[in-house]
Amino acid sequence: MAHAIKFHPGMSLLEQHAEGTLSADVALAVAAHIDLCPHCKQLSHDITTDLACQLAQQPVKSNTTDWQHMLNDIMAQPQLSKQAAATQAHLSAQAAEPIIVNQREFVVPRALQRLAANHGKWLHLGGIATAKLPAGNDYHVSLLYISKDTEVPQHTHLGLEMTLVLAGKIVDENGEYKAGDLLINSPDDTHTPRTMADEDCLCLSVLSAPLKFKKGLTRLLNPLQQFFY
Amino acid sequence: MLKSINVPRHDRAPSPIPDTQASMTRQDITNNNWEEALTFVALQRDRSAYAELFNYFAPRLKAFGMKMFGNEQQALEMVQDTMLNVWKKAALFDASRGCASTWIFTIARNVRFDMLRKKQSRKDDVSADDLWLNGEYPEPEADNDASQWDTQLLMDKLAPHFTSLPPAQREVMEKVYLQEKTHQEVSDELAIPLGTVKSRIRLALDRLREALDGARN
Repeated sequence: MAHAIKFHPGMSLLEQHAEGTLSADVALAVAAHIDLCPHCKQLSHDITTDLACQLAQQPVKSNTTDWQHMLNDIMAQPQLSKQAAATQAHLSAQAAEPIIVNQREFVVPRALQRLAANHGKWLHLGGIATAKLPAGNDYHVSLLYISKDTEVPQHTHLGLEMTLVLAGKIVDENGEYKAGDLLINSPDDTHTPRTMADEDCLCLSVLSAPLKFKKGLTRLLNPLQQFFY
Repeated sequence: MLKSINVPRHDRAPSPIPDTQASMTRQDITNNNWEEALTFVALQRDRSAYAELFNYFAPRLKAFGMKMFGNEQQALEMVQDTMLNVWKKAALFDASRGCASTWIFTIARNVRFDMLRKKQSRKDDVSADDLWLNGEYPEPEADNDASQWDTQLLMDKLAPHFTSLPPAQREVMEKVYLQEKTHQEVSDELAIPLGTVKSRIRLALDRLREALDGARN
């Protein structure tokens, strides 16, 4: 990637991701960011090493668990050959199917490939299109496509909004975001993201509550809320 | 965060228990490390090497599971599933790419994640395989990070921030940058793997970079 990624999840989210304690939907956005960002990939690796070392070093009290029984159970099972184990762990690389929207093809990061292959129908509204991913219970996870020169109506967030740019570029009042950049907006933030005249944009959007549109007529457009959520 | 002082070296088995019955293999492993034990399991289906690994890691995984699930039955289910994966898939472990403890930890984390999702009966949905590259731990690049820092600059600008680091990272940084020990010396002294020393330095440098940026703004 030619540019440096500027917006990262931050140490705390990376730590919770490595521990496996984030909710699945938020973890998905963090995992996809890590796929795109060598810096966070390295940090994530280091955090995992550190956590594993802590796990292995913790003192344990002797207890009454019947370990011998479990040990015998396990060793009664056959071991797998390297190849069989790799197949079971889905290690064999599969060619990624591109996502097609607006006659454009996009290849999504590894973390999203399986889910994106089963995305819901694209719903179009003006220059914007969304498709739900079969993920999540607390959060709504979708792909968001914004055509060139298009503005998403100004909105605030009733909950947490995470947007990961997968391809192209968007700008809002606070800056410019390119592939790999992760925007996290809390209920206090208001913004009007838009694309520039020369470049469209594909994002992953993770929402914990519907957006609330602030301006003029769009405020009255309840269906718009449904569209985004 | 757990203190890393005065604990037995985790990647080596505890001191050999006097045992006249011990086989050669067992002796070999006790004197070496878990990476080697796993390699024995993978290449020779070595049951005594596996038993050593199991006896060390199972109770620790249970403690981790208790913390995560707060319930013994699920904690034990996680231990069983994790250690079964270690047994069946030992062939996938590659010692050149990371510690045995890291490999085992990531298996336990993924098992736990999938157990929780299954309990919520969300089968088609996000799985551990999506979130974490299975069995893949990118080998850290050369220590560019550390060598980019001028040692004098570190002393002047960064040392005051050492106090804000988590204890485990702070300890490593003080030994490397203030006492000028090599990574290997720190690894031996603290009884932690070399890879963990390097990881903690990188994590600390990243935190310090944030602290410096914060001070500047």
